[in-house]
Amino acid sequence: MFGFENITANNGWAMAVVGASIVFLGLVVLSFVISQVHKILDLWEQRDEFLNRYKKQAQIEEPKPIKAPVSRQHHLPTVKELASIYRPLVEQLKQPFNLIQLFEISNKMDLAHPHLSIKYLQEAGVLVPQGDGTFTWDKQKAN
Amino acid sequence: MFDLFYQFLSNTGYFLADYRHVIMIFVGCIFLYLGTAKKYEPLLLVPIGFGILVGNVPFFKGFGIGIYEPNSVLHYLYFGVTTGVYPSIVFLGLGAMTDFSSLLAQPKLMLLGAAAQMGIYFTLLGALFFGFLPKEAASIAIIGGADGPTSIFLTAKLAPHLIGPIAIAAYSYMALIPVIQPPIMRLLTTRQERLIRMPPGREVSRKELIIFPVVAVLLCCFLAPTALPLLGMLFLGNFLKESGVVNRLANTAQSAIIDTATIFLGFTVGCSTQGDVFLTPKALGIFFLGSVAFSIATASGVIFGKIMNLFLKEKINPLLGAAGVSAVPGSAREVHLTGLKEDPTNFLLMHGMACNSSGVIGSAICAGILWSFFI
Repeated sequence: MFGFENITANNGWAMAVVGASIVFLGLVVLSFVISQVHKILDLWEQRDEFLNRYKKQAQIEEPKPIKAPVSRQHHLPTVKELASIYRPLVEQLKQPFNLIQLFEISNKMDLAHPHLSIKYLQEAGVLVPQGDGTFTWDKQKAN
Repeated sequence: MFDLFYQFLSNTGYFLADYRHVIMIFVGCIFLYLGTAKKYEPLLLVPIGFGILVGNVPFFKGFGIGIYEPNSVLHYLYFGVTTGVYPSIVFLGLGAMTDFSSLLAQPKLMLLGAAAQMGIYFTLLGALFFGFLPKEAASIAIIGGADGPTSIFLTAKLAPHLIGPIAIAAYSYMALIPVIQPPIMRLLTTRQERLIRMPPGREVSRKELIIFPVVAVLLCCFLAPTALPLLGMLFLGNFLKESGVVNRLANTAQSAIIDTATIFLGFTVGCSTQGDVFLTPKALGIFFLGSVAFSIATASGVIFGKIMNLFLKEKINPLLGAAGVSAVPGSAREVHLTGLKEDPTNFLLMHGMACNSSGVIGSAICAGILWSFFI
């Protein structure tokens, strides 16, 4: 078989068109990629500078952190002083008493830091737990 | 005693020779003349020419002497051709010798390498038109890539019986670049176009040169995996060279290895041109179509260069299109010389090498594509 008939019979037209397109496509893609390689390398080599610049920018833009208020150590009176403050209040209550009752009275008297004060007194053994949720006043430790 | 003497005489080459052997020995002598006296591609033409002489010494068939006789020494050496081993080794050395920096500096020149491959596909149609079988047509068409090892590789895979004529045609036309290409270049370009100066390429970093073979082998071989034996070795050789850490291997690849492969490739291809096998109407058809393929490839590159100029602000010299065929460095040198004839201060060699390098890659991809069509 000869001529165009042979080309058509053996799929020659398709082979030529597809083959030429593939090789063209391949080399176009390769040329595009290699034209970008040096740009990518430049970016890569300047990455430290870029990162530093970004960090600086981020620091400028970053809002100053709101500092949490430093918790001051409240200057509480000593246990003896506390005991002298709270003794008159306890004397108003029947023994044993609830801490809530003591807290309410101290609030009424507008004493500073009633929670902390009652806690210290309890830890110091001035307020003695009775085991049923009530407390008594230990006069010895209070003096 | 006379009987013995007559028997001896009847086994000598003088007695067995016929006109085909004489013709082929004459062709071998021409090759040796062109290679040694004219210095046309001597590295190829000398071993091929000598191979033609050796292959066409007549002998008594059946002694296990000839290249086509099983278990002969020449047959074993020819094994590297028929399996595609030698072309792959040549590509390894070629990669180790190739400097892709000019291509990396101006990647758009790669398109000229792609355009020059059109000769392959036009010739495919031409070979089918003249009645060749599809696999034979594909093997003939690859001559348009002007790449000897690629032509041998593809022919070994598709039409091993045509290796001799196709290899001879491919190498002949590579050697005849100074005769074939300049008239086509001059015919298709105006003087103004030939005078276009190319800007110097940017400086290419070492990292780019190292990355290129990795990127290229992945991109090209994912596209045409059948080109792996050629492109894999090409880019391996190039990576050996550019990495700079295996200089011993790179030096061996670009000297001892490629030289050994070239000697055996050229010699055995020459030997395969035994007159009785080689001188057939098909071989003449292959020579004719090979010249057509080479001419169309040259013309395609030049014409595509002119087409690119319609769209580019910075014009390129369309002569460079002729270097898109992969005859390294012959066609780049010819482009350079043609440019110099018009303007002795216009140096196109490095730009031509860029097109040449892309032509090598392009023709190997084409070989892979054509092979894959018949898998």
